[in-house]
Amino acid sequence: MAKWFRSYFLMLKWVFLANRTWLTMNLVIQMCIAVGFIFGISYFYPAITPSIAKYLTTGAPTLILITVGLVMVPQFVAWARADGTFDYIWSLPVPRMVHTTADATNMFGSMLPGIVLSVIFGSIYFDFSLNISPLVIPAVVMISLCGTFLGYTMAFAVSKPMTTQVLTQVIVFAVMMFSPVMYPASQLPGWLQAVHKVLPVQYMADLSRGTLTDLDVNLGQAFAVVGAWLIAGFVLTWFLVRRRQ
Amino acid sequence: MLLEIRDVTKIYKGKIKANDNISLAVSEGEVFGLLGPNGAGKTTLVNQIIGLAVPTSGMITINGVNIVANPGYAREACSFQAQVQAPISGLSVLQAIELVGRIRGGRKPDVRKRAMELIEKLELVEWQKTMGLIISGGVRRLVAFCMAAVTPGKIVILDEPTNDIDPLRRRQLWQEVQTLAKRGSAVLLITHNVLEAERVVDRLAIVDQGVIRGMGTPASLKEAEGDAMRLELILEPKTAAPSLPDYLKQPVIINRRILGQVQPADIPTTIAWARELKEVGTIEEFSLGPATLEDVYIRLVKNPDDTANHKETS
Repeated sequence: MAKWFRSYFLMLKWVFLANRTWLTMNLVIQMCIAVGFIFGISYFYPAITPSIAKYLTTGAPTLILITVGLVMVPQFVAWARADGTFDYIWSLPVPRMVHTTADATNMFGSMLPGIVLSVIFGSIYFDFSLNISPLVIPAVVMISLCGTFLGYTMAFAVSKPMTTQVLTQVIVFAVMMFSPVMYPASQLPGWLQAVHKVLPVQYMADLSRGTLTDLDVNLGQAFAVVGAWLIAGFVLTWFLVRRRQ
Repeated sequence: MLLEIRDVTKIYKGKIKANDNISLAVSEGEVFGLLGPNGAGKTTLVNQIIGLAVPTSGMITINGVNIVANPGYAREACSFQAQVQAPISGLSVLQAIELVGRIRGGRKPDVRKRAMELIEKLELVEWQKTMGLIISGGVRRLVAFCMAAVTPGKIVILDEPTNDIDPLRRRQLWQEVQTLAKRGSAVLLITHNVLEAERVVDRLAIVDQGVIRGMGTPASLKEAEGDAMRLELILEPKTAAPSLPDYLKQPVIINRRILGQVQPADIPTTIAWARELKEVGTIEEFSLGPATLEDVYIRLVKNPDDTANHKETS
């Protein structure tokens, strides 16, 4: 186990340093997107009620986490696979999953400031008080890792970088427009509500809502469903990264 | 033998046969060259040694351990310089070398000492704090070599290590390759630079279209060329190749170079013919000398039917 942790921290340092050229830019973009979501989507509503304000404020971090996990991660992985980065990393005496976990940690770290800023900004802008539960920490970690490992699954399952790119565009469009993240599920047609009962997106948003505000959310169910998807994503990633040509 | 490859065949999806029944063995302290043209299957073979790919059939062992079943052992045993540039854009030269040294299990002070030793020997001191993103391709490749050599494995695999590198540093790099072997590592050197490989390797295999065409020491491979001498003509720019005499055996034209073999009895006639070509302005210069490894390489790659003559090892 000590060897695993030694490798993990060294790989974390490697991943952080290797990506630092774009990390600062990514950090700024994430923060702008977070604030932009709250501003931009509020224009859809003729009047912002306290409930809408809370949906927007808690929806923004979820969207960031999903976007990074399901869009940026697969794209980065696809490029890295194409340019040989993974061949090099996977030739080092480190289990492949250790590198993947270090990469996921780095991704999470790069998202965190944007998430915090969007929540603080939303509560000030819409003038409501946050009701922060200690469960917010596992909730945010789970949302992030669930999205990231599902992103890895997609990236490693699809062999062509261009296909990955197209798929991520479709996903980001579907999540933005047709997912109950920035609005309640009840506003969707029945069949789409049924689809979202199985997918993790709605429950990711519920985790954020239930741990940051007083909105009525079934947190137990949200933890269970997101947890199940996180485990599925982790296991699938583990299975896929172990594959050899 | 430290590394043993037995009857390895690799067929990719789409039925592309990248390696066809390859067998070779490399011992500790040996520099073994794997030479061949682009697409010969060299990198595929390396990928199977380090566990990135699995043979379709055959066996690879390191120290007797079956690494097809145990790729983790292969990663511990092999340090690797890839043909593509190492992913060090955000790391400084020293950080990249030290981090890999530590990931490979080296102790911090040992890794620092060895990293500085390599940086000094390969004259990289002025770039040691420079980020990978802004160093030249040649320096980046030298850094990748240092990353493979800082905490070397039992086997050090170098895939085209001298691409983009200037002649002086190239010479220093070859010295370091030999130092690695002297310290006990087996060095597997993948290259298509035959002339350089001839001076560095203890033994080599010539691979083409996934098949070993010849294997042995440079001397043993050249021996098979017999008494034949090597004629090299350099054509004047934009000049068509002249019609070649029958006594020039196995002629090959590569850009402006014409290579061929001449038997001792034909040497006077050959010299007279070459002088005449020079006088009329067809060739810029010519040379006649003993056969080189390049001649063996060209003949085996251009004439695969000769493979059987070179299957023996030294």
